[in-house]
Amino acid sequence: MDGQRVGNRLIGTQAPVIVGWENIPKVEGGPMKQFVFTWFQPVMLFALIAFWYYAPNSIAKASTAVMIGIGFKLLLLALEWVNPRYASWRLTWKELVTDLFYVGLGFTLLRIVSHYIGSDAVAKAIQDYFHRDPFPWFIGLPLLLQGFLIAFIFDFGQYWMHRGMHNWYPLWLPHSVHHYITQLNVNKGAVGNPVELFLIGLGIGGFFDFLPRAALIAGAFGLAIGTYQHINVRFNSPRWWRFLFNTTEHHSLHHSQDFESTRSNYAGAFIFIDRLFGTCIDGEAELLGLEGGRRMSIREQMSHPFTEGWKALKARFDRPVAVSAE
Amino acid sequence: MNLRFIDWIWHVRDSLALPAGQSSEDAFDRLDPLFRQTGTTYQRTNDTLTFRKKDQPAQDKMSVFDVGALRIDKTAAGSVLRYDLSSRALLFCFLASPLFFGIGQMTVLISQFEKPKPQVEKKQADIPMNPIDKFLGAPEPDHSKKDKTDGDKKLSPKAAYIFSGIFAVLYVVGRILEDRLMKARFEKTLAEWSH
Repeated sequence: MDGQRVGNRLIGTQAPVIVGWENIPKVEGGPMKQFVFTWFQPVMLFALIAFWYYAPNSIAKASTAVMIGIGFKLLLLALEWVNPRYASWRLTWKELVTDLFYVGLGFTLLRIVSHYIGSDAVAKAIQDYFHRDPFPWFIGLPLLLQGFLIAFIFDFGQYWMHRGMHNWYPLWLPHSVHHYITQLNVNKGAVGNPVELFLIGLGIGGFFDFLPRAALIAGAFGLAIGTYQHINVRFNSPRWWRFLFNTTEHHSLHHSQDFESTRSNYAGAFIFIDRLFGTCIDGEAELLGLEGGRRMSIREQMSHPFTEGWKALKARFDRPVAVSAE
Repeated sequence: MNLRFIDWIWHVRDSLALPAGQSSEDAFDRLDPLFRQTGTTYQRTNDTLTFRKKDQPAQDKMSVFDVGALRIDKTAAGSVLRYDLSSRALLFCFLASPLFFGIGQMTVLISQFEKPKPQVEKKQADIPMNPIDKFLGAPEPDHSKKDKTDGDKKLSPKAAYIFSGIFAVLYVVGRILEDRLMKARFEKTLAEWSH
């Protein structure tokens, strides 16, 4: 494959990818369908932000956010049936069971681990040690700015953590499992080795003091933007949306079978971070996964980082020692 | 222990009559494309086909099954295809329900060792609302309640129990659905045969 030059990189030499927005397929169907799948994303984002901004204190709480999150995911699942991006990404019973197993781990075991050694617990321990309060000036900022900054600071950290995972082998080992997914569905963001899922969830939010309502607004950014990374729905996202925010198009390229394409589009929600640091590629891929799209079993997903790490260590330390020929 | 009493959990066994006049070879020729898939190896003899799948793609029509045997028996009424398919995914889904129930129980146990944290009273009352938020009409922060950010983050087994239930339902759905889908696929594939 010849590939295409993007900046100083050659993209798509190992597997087919689409580069450039003008080459990406559009939503097919009547004007109503076109309208819905063009404006769905912005309307949902602004509706969610407006909801959390104006909701009375009695309902502006975490439990409401959890219910909205579940409802939104169910709605997106329905949209996957109505307007799939690729037939080869269709959700099957087996894929759903696999995905929900990881979603379940995220809600249970990972939550227990994060409770004790997650970023908030660590931040609190550090603050207690230095007898410092979280940054109190933050709480005086306008709510929307607080919400955006919480989301942005988390995403900025996640960008570098994610980029580190693709550039440093010890971090790549746990993250590599997530790159064995061969299709994008609404729950695929949860699929990966639990060690990675813990690492990617780390942030520095614990160091800030913010109004609970601001955290809910930040969550709306994550839900109404970040969720589209892994989803099988075709949208005609507006130009400004795909310039600022991460999309399925960007993230499918990040998951493609082409190695060079996977080294792009690291941000979770705000793709402009990638644009700032020169790692953004606008495009799309259908064929996903490592090793030519080999689907990994859950058992291997659990053990892969450790077995591969062990192999790497053995290879490093078992090297035959050069002996002089005397 | 005789596994046959419980192996229905991950085995799908059934049979269906071949269209009149269809030989074993014709039937297996028709079914052949189902086994020409990435990660699938299979062996055919006159009246038996055995297969094994590893890392099968999501869109493989038989991706739920990992090992299986199909046999064609000749009876007085005609030929019958009998099959026995084994699925690790079905077994996994079946076991996921008690697994999450166990995680729920473990969460209860762990939370018993948690020392009750003191409710932290933060003085939010003296934090002025930003004028922009006042102008836009956002509700005032609730000063009447204590800020329970440190005290209310208790471990709860609720999510684990919900997932235990979800997997129980998913198992029942999958066990019935995948059984029917497979039978319908075999029937459709064999019926497309012409003399």
